[in-house]
Amino acid sequence: MLNPAMPLPDDPLDRDILIGAGDISTDEMYINMGPQHPSTHGVLRVLLRTDGEIVTEAHPHIGYLHRCAEKIGECLDYIKFQPYTDRMDYLAAMNNNLGYAMTVEKLAGLEIPERAQLLRVIIVELNRIASHLIAFGTYGLDAGALTPFFHAWREREEMLTLFEKICGARLTYNYVCIGGVVNDMPEGWEDMVLDFLDRFEKRWKEYNDLLTYNRIFIRRTADIGVITREDCVAYALTGPMMRGSGIDWDLRRDRPYMMYDRFEYDIPIGEGKMGTVGDCWDRYWVRMVEMKESGKIVRQAFDMLKGAEGTHKAKVPKVFKPKKGECYVGIENPRGELGFYIVSDGSKNAYRMRVRGPSFCNLSILEKLLPGAMIADAVMIIGSTDIVLGEVDR
Amino acid sequence: MVETFKDFGFAVKTAIKGMGITLKTFFEKPVTLQYPEERPEVDSRYRGIHFLEQEKCISCKVCALACPVDCIHIESELPEKGLYDWDRFDIDYGLCMFCELCCFPCPTNCIHMGKEFDFSRFSRMDLVRNMLTWEGVSPAQKKEVDGIAAEKAAKKAAAAEAKKKAAQDEPKDTQDEKKDGE
Amino acid sequence: MFEQSIILSAIRDAIDWVLGLVGQDISILPLPVQVVLCGLIAAGGLMGAIAFAVLIYVWMERRIAGRMQARRGPNRVGPYGLLQTVADTFKLLRKEDIIPTGANRILFAFAPMLVLAGVVAAFAAIPISWDADKGEPIMIADIDLGIFLITAIVATEVIGVIMAGWASNNKWSLYGAMREAAQVVSYEIPLGLSLLVPVLIVGDLSLGAATEDQLGGNWLIWRNPFMWAVFFIFYVAGLANCKRAPFDLPEAESELVAGFHTEYSGLRFSFFFMEEYASMTLISAIGAIYFFGAGDLFGLQGSSSLIMFGVLLFKILVSIFVMMWIRWTLPRLRIDQVMTLGYKVLTPIAFFLLLGVTVWDLYDLNDKLWELFSRS
Repeated sequence: MLNPAMPLPDDPLDRDILIGAGDISTDEMYINMGPQHPSTHGVLRVLLRTDGEIVTEAHPHIGYLHRCAEKIGECLDYIKFQPYTDRMDYLAAMNNNLGYAMTVEKLAGLEIPERAQLLRVIIVELNRIASHLIAFGTYGLDAGALTPFFHAWREREEMLTLFEKICGARLTYNYVCIGGVVNDMPEGWEDMVLDFLDRFEKRWKEYNDLLTYNRIFIRRTADIGVITREDCVAYALTGPMMRGSGIDWDLRRDRPYMMYDRFEYDIPIGEGKMGTVGDCWDRYWVRMVEMKESGKIVRQAFDMLKGAEGTHKAKVPKVFKPKKGECYVGIENPRGELGFYIVSDGSKNAYRMRVRGPSFCNLSILEKLLPGAMIADAVMIIGSTDIVLGEVDR
Repeated sequence: MVETFKDFGFAVKTAIKGMGITLKTFFEKPVTLQYPEERPEVDSRYRGIHFLEQEKCISCKVCALACPVDCIHIESELPEKGLYDWDRFDIDYGLCMFCELCCFPCPTNCIHMGKEFDFSRFSRMDLVRNMLTWEGVSPAQKKEVDGIAAEKAAKKAAAAEAKKKAAQDEPKDTQDEKKDGE
Repeated sequence: MFEQSIILSAIRDAIDWVLGLVGQDISILPLPVQVVLCGLIAAGGLMGAIAFAVLIYVWMERRIAGRMQARRGPNRVGPYGLLQTVADTFKLLRKEDIIPTGANRILFAFAPMLVLAGVVAAFAAIPISWDADKGEPIMIADIDLGIFLITAIVATEVIGVIMAGWASNNKWSLYGAMREAAQVVSYEIPLGLSLLVPVLIVGDLSLGAATEDQLGGNWLIWRNPFMWAVFFIFYVAGLANCKRAPFDLPEAESELVAGFHTEYSGLRFSFFFMEEYASMTLISAIGAIYFFGAGDLFGLQGSSSLIMFGVLLFKILVSIFVMMWIRWTLPRLRIDQVMTLGYKVLTPIAFFLLLGVTVWDLYDLNDKLWELFSRS
């Protein structure tokens, strides 16, 4: 017999009612998701308290990949620390190089030639595409579709070959250096990049047919893990995580650095096309559109490069000792605001080095987002934050 | 109810579209390489295992100083100007992170990043690679050095001979002088 | 007993011939012994055939997945990598058999066998070909309640999976098991309903009768306009029943690590693996027999039973290719969406189709429409 005191739920699978309903909820259990879990994107560990399939409490635990990057930065020369920045956010190593180099340049008051700046823009935007390709592919993996991952990898592999041609490495580039970039671009590189971008735009449409507009994928991501504007601000989210919630904020445009104020590009924000503003699909879509916009920037930068003055690198003193002082520079990493804060005491290594990692800050909202989601949703939400554990733990 | 059915219809439609993409890829040529047989052609800028132009190297150890992980170990003696007696130029690839920072400050531009990328070994000790093509003094220099030494030896010998001769001659003279004096 | 089954009687004849070599006769064995002996030989043969098929399927799956992902797939061991699965099997056999601490050892060991046995036993009621001379289907057991037996016996697989998940002493496994229970039990409803339609048209629960009914290109799929939809429902429900993507929730590798078989290794793991492919074959075979005319290829019915078998095998392989194609394209559903799809979409549609087919057949609309068409 039905309990008259218990109102009948409209939809028996409505999760809110399920959580609240005393007579169908079961014993809660703690479950460890990670550090050895296929979809925690590295070595993140999330302690979940679950009621059946529904998560009621979540605590992310980090630190499994801690390598003392900040301390190393304080012990090494400014130039020597450059390759270590590659290893933080290894999927967007160029961006990390750039953030560090810009901070040190600001500290030392170095002027960067125009050509070097444009080369930096090109390489950084290409790296943004490469990084978002991984975000797209692994998000497909989280959803259970394995093929988008390999398709994304196919294009990324071509990009890595382009990177290899300009700087010699495929993952840890160490290309953007203090004072400019290491090498000027080789002969014919421009045509190769433009040719790749042409092909990439066709592939981009394929990705959308394959995954973005797939109804199952939309059902898995729309209305899941909704972040409100207030939460974005409260948790200091940046990058696509924040833009997905409809906040129009991009450091490239709003706090222009290098030559970003001279390019024309759109900054995609979440519109709630498939569900609510700020859901997983919006965040994913922001990343997808950003890939296209980065392509636009690269094309414009190549046009501007023809009339650019200067060389690929400014003169940097062999013994590099910036004067006493401190400085912070934040740049727009594929994952959000990547900031370097350096205190110099006038010696050849930094007195204090602090990195504001976007993944680390974006990760903090998991504690709020996961409760109420199902385990499958939890995987999708973690995927939509697009974290790189190398940078979270540093 | 109607929504659910509509959704199902959408799902089937988009699924078929996605399956079209995978089928298209199915008939495309795979992009992968058959690795050990087919090797990727790396660019001239590729940062692989180093190679050292030992003739040019002046053993200034700037590369070892520039290395962020201290993986370059150089030991050499400088007995004479322009002459290097090499003991050791090792790079520990267990530490090296291929950042190319060692190549920039080199004054004679003698250390380079090579194209070799496959350097897996069974033991950690095997990862330490000896960069020297010869140890001790270079073969070219050796000839030169030997030549100089031979010349010197010859000179010395000649000088000694001359001295000996002189010494032989001298007493004669003195004897003569003595004779003369006597 | 033996008159119901061409295969069993063939085995008996073979034993008879072997005994004839030593001057004996099959009649020296009492009938129960004969039955058990022939049954064991048939079961062994079936098991071997399935194991062999799984080797091919795994190779197929990996090659297909490879090509769909712009890579090659296995290509080293043997021609086109055909022997890769054989090598993998040896690797699995050599692996340590790990039973986790705190696991229920008996259930843990018993579960994979139960899972596999349930699916393999169902093949006994599948006609693999048609003997034109005798006018009988070639199968191990031509049971009157064929499809009923199959659906019943396949359902035991769920028990095995729940046992595996529960006995593993692993929370992820438990999740997998619970998902499996919820999913498979719910999808048996649309699956059963969609199977009821061909049964209704054929008028017999035996699959052998369905084979006979469709000889000469008279496939059930052409019988009335509802059949394609019925087949679609059957296929989707079948995918869910054999835990294939996009319904692979019990072993969802991105959520539950490996689901109910997280803790299994070596031979026991390979049992689960075989079960998945065996049930794929079963669903494909039922689909081919009940909708696409079994071994019939438009009038080849007069030809040898070997060709019929080949045609049936081809149809099964096409169906399995489509299953793999789906797997390597689609993302996975969430458990509540799976349940919604099962109960709110597939089941009502299946009911509607059942009703439609009944009315269609009741009023013999095929003939009436045909008359209308030919008159105009």
